[in-house]
Amino acid sequence: MQITCRDRKQIFLDGSAEEWTGLELHVASCAECAEEVRAWKALSAAAEELRDYQESPALWPRIETALVQQAENSVIGKSRPERLAFWRSVPMVWQTVMAGTLVLLMAVTAGYLYLQSGPGKGDPNNPLLKDRKLAEVERSERDYVKAIDKLAAEAKPELEMPTSPLMASYQEKLIMLDSAIDELRAEAGQNPSNAHLRYQLLAIYQEKKMTLQDVLETKR
Amino acid sequence: MGSVGVSLPRELRISSVAREGIFPVEPPERESQANPAAGIPEDAALAAACRAGDLHAYERLYRLQGARMKNLARNLLGTKNDAEDAVQETFLKVQRSIASFRGQSSFVTWVYRILVNTCHDLRRSRMRRKETVPEKREEGVMPAEPRAPGGHPSLKLALDRAIAQLTQHQRDVFLLYEVEGFRHAEIAEMLEISETASKNTLFQAKKSLRQVLEAPRSSQAGGE
Repeated sequence: MQITCRDRKQIFLDGSAEEWTGLELHVASCAECAEEVRAWKALSAAAEELRDYQESPALWPRIETALVQQAENSVIGKSRPERLAFWRSVPMVWQTVMAGTLVLLMAVTAGYLYLQSGPGKGDPNNPLLKDRKLAEVERSERDYVKAIDKLAAEAKPELEMPTSPLMASYQEKLIMLDSAIDELRAEAGQNPSNAHLRYQLLAIYQEKKMTLQDVLETKR
Repeated sequence: MGSVGVSLPRELRISSVAREGIFPVEPPERESQANPAAGIPEDAALAAACRAGDLHAYERLYRLQGARMKNLARNLLGTKNDAEDAVQETFLKVQRSIASFRGQSSFVTWVYRILVNTCHDLRRSRMRRKETVPEKREEGVMPAEPRAPGGHPSLKLALDRAIAQLTQHQRDVFLLYEVEGFRHAEIAEMLEISETASKNTLFQAKKSLRQVLEAPRSSQAGGE
């Protein structure tokens, strides 16, 4: 077989035995190809330096132990009661349908729970008021304040100059209630959504309103 | 170059005669060299025994291929400890997934595919831990030290360093072909590439290695 320098790369890549023989003959008369072939072969020879098949006496016992342990774990796993064995007997289509139904059911339940706990439907004991609820509370407070101001204006003469011990005690009670109202309003101003403070404030307004009504009734 | 396997059966040993001479005729394909399936006539029987959970079959597989598996893993990972871990993990993976082996390839080739992938996984996890190969190399497996009697420390060191500069694919193919003596058909199965790709990759790998290994010599000559 006639081999030229141009054939060298192809022979290195995928040369047949015949082509290699031809290359061997060619290198006898071609210094460049002789050097290339020498370097090519030298790499293969050098690769043998990386071959070291010395025994590792401890390796097989280590592997054997690991294999036995894995096999035992596998047996234990198989011997466990197959709680979901029935599931495997269900066709894949029905498994998909059942899984989809379950997901849908969970989504509907979650949505229902969310709507139930949404704005305006919350627990009155919820320590934090939502915006809508807060507006309602503030409106009630304003109504109480208006009503109280009217009553206070009517009761003012009696309370400024109490004519009886009962009226004097009403006066003291109203002073205490006003003091409590001022404190709670200051706290509520810093934390408007605090339901507990708002309910306390409303209760005191209610108490003040009732006390003023009592004052006016005693006056009559 | 007498570092032929000391623990492998004769039929599995890689002949070095063809590489002894300066200009030996390189066979186009290695029909009998280190062909794992050809070397183990009971390849299918071994697979069946392993599938049946026969521990002796695994031991037989280890006796036949363990040393070469460890050598390949060490060349891919750089240390003896990592190599032994990779071989152990490979055996465990074989045991776990033997049921999925359908016999499309030889059993031993399939085992080597698992080994190569396991080595890649270990290498990646080690890279994630920012442990470089030179730092991780152990004293006992430093390339400067002879791995086998009659070794050439400086050549090994140079080759180790040069191989480290190859791409992963080039390194795999070079080690499997030139060091472990597998045929391109087997390498193609192991790496899930075509035979042609395996041949091309080997060519590119040897070209790169030659450039790296000859660079110091030419720079030395230039400096003189």
